[in-house]
Amino acid sequence: MRKSDEHDDLVLTPRDVRFDWENLPLHWIPREPLATHVVNVLHLLLPEGERWFVRVFLQTMPLITDEELRARVLGFTGQEAVHAEAHQGVLDHLAAKGVPIDPYVTQVAYLFHHVLGDIPGQSPRRERQYLIERVAIIAGIEHFTAFLGDWILNAPALDRAGADPVMLDLLRWHGAEEVEHRAVAYDLLRHLDRGYVRRIRTMVIATTTLARLWIRGVRYLAAVDPERRPGSRARWRDVARAARRGLLPDPVKLVVSVLRYLSPGYHPTQEGSTEQAVAYLGTSPAARAAAH
Amino acid sequence: MPRPPRPTPPPDLFGEDRPDRFLTGLQRFTSLYVPLTGRKRYRPRPPEGGRPAELTVARREYVAPDVVALRLVAPDGGTLPRWQPGAHLDLGLPSGRRRTYSLCGDPADRYGYRVAVRLIPGGGGGSAEVHRELTEGSRVPVAGPRNAFPFARERRVLLVAGGIGITPLLPMAHEAERRGLDWTLVHTGRTRASLPFADETATLARRHPGRVVVLTDEEDGRPDAAALLARAPRGAAVYCCGPAPLLDALRRAFPAGPATALHFERFTAPPVVDGKPFTLRLRDGRELPVPADRSALDVLRAADPATAYSCRQGFCGVCRVRVLSGTVDHRDRRLTEAERAAGDMLVCVSRADDGACLELDH
Repeated sequence: MRKSDEHDDLVLTPRDVRFDWENLPLHWIPREPLATHVVNVLHLLLPEGERWFVRVFLQTMPLITDEELRARVLGFTGQEAVHAEAHQGVLDHLAAKGVPIDPYVTQVAYLFHHVLGDIPGQSPRRERQYLIERVAIIAGIEHFTAFLGDWILNAPALDRAGADPVMLDLLRWHGAEEVEHRAVAYDLLRHLDRGYVRRIRTMVIATTTLARLWIRGVRYLAAVDPERRPGSRARWRDVARAARRGLLPDPVKLVVSVLRYLSPGYHPTQEGSTEQAVAYLGTSPAARAAAH
Repeated sequence: MPRPPRPTPPPDLFGEDRPDRFLTGLQRFTSLYVPLTGRKRYRPRPPEGGRPAELTVARREYVAPDVVALRLVAPDGGTLPRWQPGAHLDLGLPSGRRRTYSLCGDPADRYGYRVAVRLIPGGGGGSAEVHRELTEGSRVPVAGPRNAFPFARERRVLLVAGGIGITPLLPMAHEAERRGLDWTLVHTGRTRASLPFADETATLARRHPGRVVVLTDEEDGRPDAAALLARAPRGAAVYCCGPAPLLDALRRAFPAGPATALHFERFTAPPVVDGKPFTLRLRDGRELPVPADRSALDVLRAADPATAYSCRQGFCGVCRVRVLSGTVDHRDRRLTEAERAAGDMLVCVSRADDGACLELDH
């Protein structure tokens, strides 16, 4: 079932955004180092992760028999490619500020190039199934990015807390494009394999791996934070407190959202609002400045 | 077939002197798991039907001296796919040209689409062809509708149309009224007689006094962007469709105005500037000539519809191709010097010298 006035025929185009990180404080949510770290894990994961999305999706081009879908997949890859570079900009800034990000980023690169990279020497059938399996993993991850995109577009607590406006614009521009293209990976998966089992098992893999990556990322960032208070460490109860204040997504809503993905009648257009995403892109300083 | 061993995982995150356990575990998991997934047989999907590939011109009328409006219906008279304000339709013209036109009818009318086309003398020939060739009863191949100018239905909206740019904004004005939004429509143009759909905007103005403003160069002087934007209520969203100078002026004046959002249709492929003809040679030995006014990407896509690309403006990098020989005239904003030195090229914008040949790893 789809919402009747949801736009499902959007032309997806990347936007040539630029961000200036010159004035970004290390803890860009003031006095909230832990919430900052939780969000900053995105910058560690996304450049390599989204480049992997692009590599995988471009390999599906010869399998696509629907021209409308092909156009949407191409729009998706352009948006993901620009997202990767935008987060890379933050990563470079963190490194310049003295955060030793290399050990973590090396691991992320290993994950996406080797653990989930192409496997040479497979039979064409296995190669194709491995490709579709990775599309299914991406469809699962895209459920999370759409959830997070919807959350960041509806997180006024971050503005109230005085979070850096340029960082908020990056996160909300990215979140809005994730909401805009939230159905592409899922529709591509359904085009290549309508099976329920694959959708579910890849979501289980995506969820557990992402959760581990995130927890490790927060622990790591907290441990190497140059402005860390001596003796402080990442604690679950501080994460829960930040979520209660609206600085992080509500974990209960996150779990419920994952359960919705498991429902046989799931479609991504039921999550989030294209209209709200489009409205934000009209106000986003970066997206407005980016037009051709 | 034996698989080449993967490199050892990077070291532990917290400084232990061993490969990282989490990655080692994931690696082991995928090496067991991936072969299991490969047993399934793949059945290619047949292309999906459902959208009519051709429509019939049911009615044709002049809505300004040089603007013709067409009503397009399904050949079997059935319902058409839904659309929302801002959507467009691609028309395939008899010469093979493709042109994109905004839908300017009523989205609630499920049996017909309306497009309006201004004759552009000395343009690319598409509008002249529509005016000359598409008569009542003609069949037109179509693609879409798709939407590159979605209407987010903000509570307060200012719609600014320049000339034929009224086409996507007319359905938005009706939608705004239906939704009870606070809306204003400004239609600008050279002369009153040149404005398309003058009778429809006049009807809107009569029914909703104060909401429709018509500004013409001959009566009101050239439109001033700051004055146009000053008509927006504080916090409004501005939707603009019209000639590039109008749009550029609005974008420049926007930060000083009372509105907070600006929407316009994004065009993705700017025309080739100062291009020279050159040749591409592919891995399979084919040689493809690239004319001065087309991009290498267009030529590659014509040869292979599965060619990758996205922004068509040289910033996203999706269309990257490896050049094996030949000198590239790089026009992108994405590749680093090292990537260019290694032979990477973005075929959507970059070219080669007059008569040169680029050998591609493609």
